[in-house]
Amino acid sequence: MKVVIGRYVPGTGFFYTMDPRTKIIALIILMVATFLIDSLMLMLIAIGLIVLLMIVGKIGIKRVYLGLRPLMFLLMFTFVFQVLFNRQGDILLKRTVFYSPLSLLLGIGLIVMWLFTKKFTRFKLFYFVAVIAGVFYIFTELGDLNPFAQSTLAIYEEGLFMAMFIMLRLIIIVTLSTILTITTKPTDLNLGLEHVLKPLKVFRINTEDIAMIISISLRYIPTLLDEANKIMLAQASRGVDFKEGKLKDKVMQIVSLLVPMFIISFKRSDELANAMEARSFVPGAKRTRLHVLAWKTLDSVTIVVALLALTLSITLRIWPWI
Amino acid sequence: MAIKFEHVSFQYKSIDNKGYLALNEVNVAIENKGEFITLIGETGSGKSTLVQHMNALLTPTKGAMNIFGIKISSKSKENKNVKFNPIRKQVGLVFQFPEYQLFEETVEKDIMFGPKNFGVNEREAKKRAREAIAMVGLDESYLERSPFNLSGGEKKRVSIAGILAMEPDILILDEPTSGLDPRGRDALLKVFYDIHTSLNKTVLIITHDMNTVYEYARRVLVMREGELVYDGDPVKLFSRTNVDNWNLDVPDIIRLKQALETEFKLDLSGTIRNKQALLKRLEELLS
Repeated sequence: MKVVIGRYVPGTGFFYTMDPRTKIIALIILMVATFLIDSLMLMLIAIGLIVLLMIVGKIGIKRVYLGLRPLMFLLMFTFVFQVLFNRQGDILLKRTVFYSPLSLLLGIGLIVMWLFTKKFTRFKLFYFVAVIAGVFYIFTELGDLNPFAQSTLAIYEEGLFMAMFIMLRLIIIVTLSTILTITTKPTDLNLGLEHVLKPLKVFRINTEDIAMIISISLRYIPTLLDEANKIMLAQASRGVDFKEGKLKDKVMQIVSLLVPMFIISFKRSDELANAMEARSFVPGAKRTRLHVLAWKTLDSVTIVVALLALTLSITLRIWPWI
Repeated sequence: MAIKFEHVSFQYKSIDNKGYLALNEVNVAIENKGEFITLIGETGSGKSTLVQHMNALLTPTKGAMNIFGIKISSKSKENKNVKFNPIRKQVGLVFQFPEYQLFEETVEKDIMFGPKNFGVNEREAKKRAREAIAMVGLDESYLERSPFNLSGGEKKRVSIAGILAMEPDILILDEPTSGLDPRGRDALLKVFYDIHTSLNKTVLIITHDMNTVYEYARRVLVMREGELVYDGDPVKLFSRTNVDNWNLDVPDIIRLKQALETEFKLDLSGTIRNKQALLKRLEELLS
């Protein structure tokens, strides 16, 4: 499994001893603070502080980077979109883009080459930037070869600024939530969530039930994966080749996996409901806990620090650079 | 030899990279005709892992196997060009729980699913479905029913019919009689024995029931902690030392025989595998 978001990684450090409630509340406060920041300089300072926090809390920066990786596409997309379409401020760069048959061919060729060779190089990011630069060069400089259309590409100061700003904001938010999920067991996270959501009871939302639903789903993810694997083996015995096959066969293969999956899940949930009832589970009844959350000094300090960060960002928003 | 294992080991991958050695240096050879084999062993001894190698659902992490002339090694590079599907047609494997494979609207369609995957046409598959359902002892009215409204025993029979319709050369069954009542169990064992005798096919059954082992099998494999510790005649298996070594249950018929020998001082030497043989012997002695 390569997905790191939402995955608990055992470790030591003060994040691990913190109360899950604290972590959730602090995360919300810090997120709000991040959204209130409106200058690039402060954003960079915030990133620096988070990195410092990770070093002190003994969280590998590489782990968080791995968590960011699935979001790379989203980050790139917002960056490019902002750079190209935000037309405010001074013009930083203005070029005419020529579209000629040869330059189109070369550009597409270069991208195809990148798609096929990117696996073999160790400097993936550098290679990517080089290819982008190459495509840019082809379209802006090789304009004399009978272009059939042309347009202008302009990058504005505000656009570049906003692009970086939004990217940093996304990175901060994802990093903060990754810290939460890396250092908190799913069961603790769920317990914390249950407590944090308690005020919703005013609106007659039963938070305990929601927490129960979440914890049962988390509990059954590995079981269902195991089950899916067994079904795949059983169907492979009957000649289903999950790796190959035409589109028509693929549909049948998926059906042969999903139908038993559904039936087994329903059966399992039925059995679980019976087992819970047999042990006198009553929905909504008052229950005591096996693990009681204890509020420590560390938690109070964390909340105070998070609130300080929030106040600071509000102050700087109202009176910039006092 | 239809199936030949040479020093086959298999290690399950785990998150902490320690791995769990499910098979350890297993050497075994199985003929494609005329064998009736039982595979026994405690839970977690590697029985299911072993049979999943026999139709190449799993490939060894060490060692090599040869299934109907197709060589499979422990190196994934060498296995790249191996077509696994023909192996699964020749070695039919029935899983323990029918819930893992039944999915179609009708029993008939479900039985036809396997043959059709191996390129059998619609008419032939229908014919095979009718034959297979009769073989497992259900009548043709079941073909139109939904596989989900059947009892546990009936589901099991339908799942076995689904594999039989593929007409495999070797039939492997992972605990086919678990969860059945005694009568259903005996009837189903009879079905397997009939398939073995009438079609002269090799049948391999995983079981925990020593009576089945003693009565039907001429060859028994014993797995223990991933190793194949015994391969041979069940009569020899149930001698004193083996039973003590591997914590085996003694079949009822042997207990009865021993009790008769000690209580009534009867001479019941020779192999007596089932009730009928014992009765016959007693009649001989009395007359």
